[in-house]
Amino acid sequence: MLLKKKYVVISVLACTVAIAVAALPSANSEFRNLRVLPKNISSQNLSKIMIDDFEDGLGVSCAFCHSLGKDSLRLDYASDAKPEKQIARRMMTMTMGINKKYFGLKHPLLGDSVLAINCITCHNGQPRPGDLETK
Amino acid sequence: MKNDKLIDFDENDDGIDRAGFLKCMAWAGTGLFCLMSGGILKTYGMSQIIDKTTGGIKKGLDISKGDFSFAQISDSHIGFNKPANPDVVGTLQASISKINAMPSTPSFILHTGDLSHLAQADEFDTLEQTLKSAKTGKIFYVPGEHDVLNDNGKQYLQRFGKDTKGNGWYSFDFNGVHFIGLVNVVDTSEGGLGVLGNEQLQWLESDVKGLSSSTPIVVFAHIPLWAVYPQWGWGTRDSEQALSYLRRFGSVSVLNGHIHQTLQKVEGNITFHTATSTAFPQPKPGAAASAGPMKVPAEQLRNLLGLTSINYVEHDHTLAVTDLPLSDAQQQQSGHQ
Repeated sequence: MLLKKKYVVISVLACTVAIAVAALPSANSEFRNLRVLPKNISSQNLSKIMIDDFEDGLGVSCAFCHSLGKDSLRLDYASDAKPEKQIARRMMTMTMGINKKYFGLKHPLLGDSVLAINCITCHNGQPRPGDLETK
Repeated sequence: MKNDKLIDFDENDDGIDRAGFLKCMAWAGTGLFCLMSGGILKTYGMSQIIDKTTGGIKKGLDISKGDFSFAQISDSHIGFNKPANPDVVGTLQASISKINAMPSTPSFILHTGDLSHLAQADEFDTLEQTLKSAKTGKIFYVPGEHDVLNDNGKQYLQRFGKDTKGNGWYSFDFNGVHFIGLVNVVDTSEGGLGVLGNEQLQWLESDVKGLSSSTPIVVFAHIPLWAVYPQWGWGTRDSEQALSYLRRFGSVSVLNGHIHQTLQKVEGNITFHTATSTAFPQPKPGAAASAGPMKVPAEQLRNLLGLTSINYVEHDHTLAVTDLPLSDAQQQQSGHQ
């Protein structure tokens, strides 16, 4: 009888763990080729960075950095075909470095509201900050 | 405002001079009343049709009630919380309150996309819950580019696109008017222009093929189907192909969102109309470095947000389009009470 009870309890616990694991956000595995942003970033945080930091900060749309898939009108987000994407990675690294080195933030993360500087600080809605200087 | 002197030169007897215009937006509103007849759209400033003392429609104005009406709302961006509008749920609710307070309840609502800001499940939940308070019948949706982030619109389709085709396009008939919801945000092109794509264009061609040319057509999609400002991606790359299937019809109205402001254009029998957002305004084309949320003084925000109501009159196939800024909406509510 005792064994049977233990078996039931273990089974229930195992089911609970399985359900809990299944319910965890699957975002971590759905984004491929993340080099600078955390590999376990949530869908919400990634979208927020793409929209609020890049789109609004630079005044561009997704296709500015992401290339279309082969023979497709859909973006291939994982592709590194466009040089702008590599530049964006360097810019993210630079921005986090400045926040760390000059503003004393220990673990700066893009999209974090405590950042001293972010994309829009220099870009101000322009794809290239230099555009502002030439005007 | 009471202590400010706003009107120095009231040349047109409309209560507005140039210098006072911006401040007067708080009560005059920025909406337009439009009446379309035979493909010609006639527009009136809201200040011309709103009685400032009562907040209602001016006496003597002949505005037909029509056979039915519907409302358009757009760009709710649930989840957005930046300074341009930290309370997007509140402003959406205000739009719904206006719809509910109209003298005759619109038959249905068209939502022209960007329901959510980041396509998150909780944002879609909030939108659905908020729209439940609308007293209209069904709500018809098309997605905006913010609704299809990350998953190419799978979640949107599951929640809002049941019984649609492809990425969410569809058509339906109501009181003799043929409504067509198009999707131009899943596929994309350089510069962020919208794309309809061959599959959808083929469907559109066959969808309207059997219709009589006298059938009034209402097309609604997120990104404008005319080149508003391609430099900012405010246009649809293959829209001309779609419009070629519609030019034989006597009355075609095209309703869009995306640019968060009211703009209109008449091209033959086709009238294009973009709606304001219920969330935040964007700059006028070319008036800023780029498109994006525009922070305005708090007292002006609700003049730049709103809804569009459309009256349909069957006998002469006209659609009357009225844009209602939220502040005017509140004035009208008090005027009708």
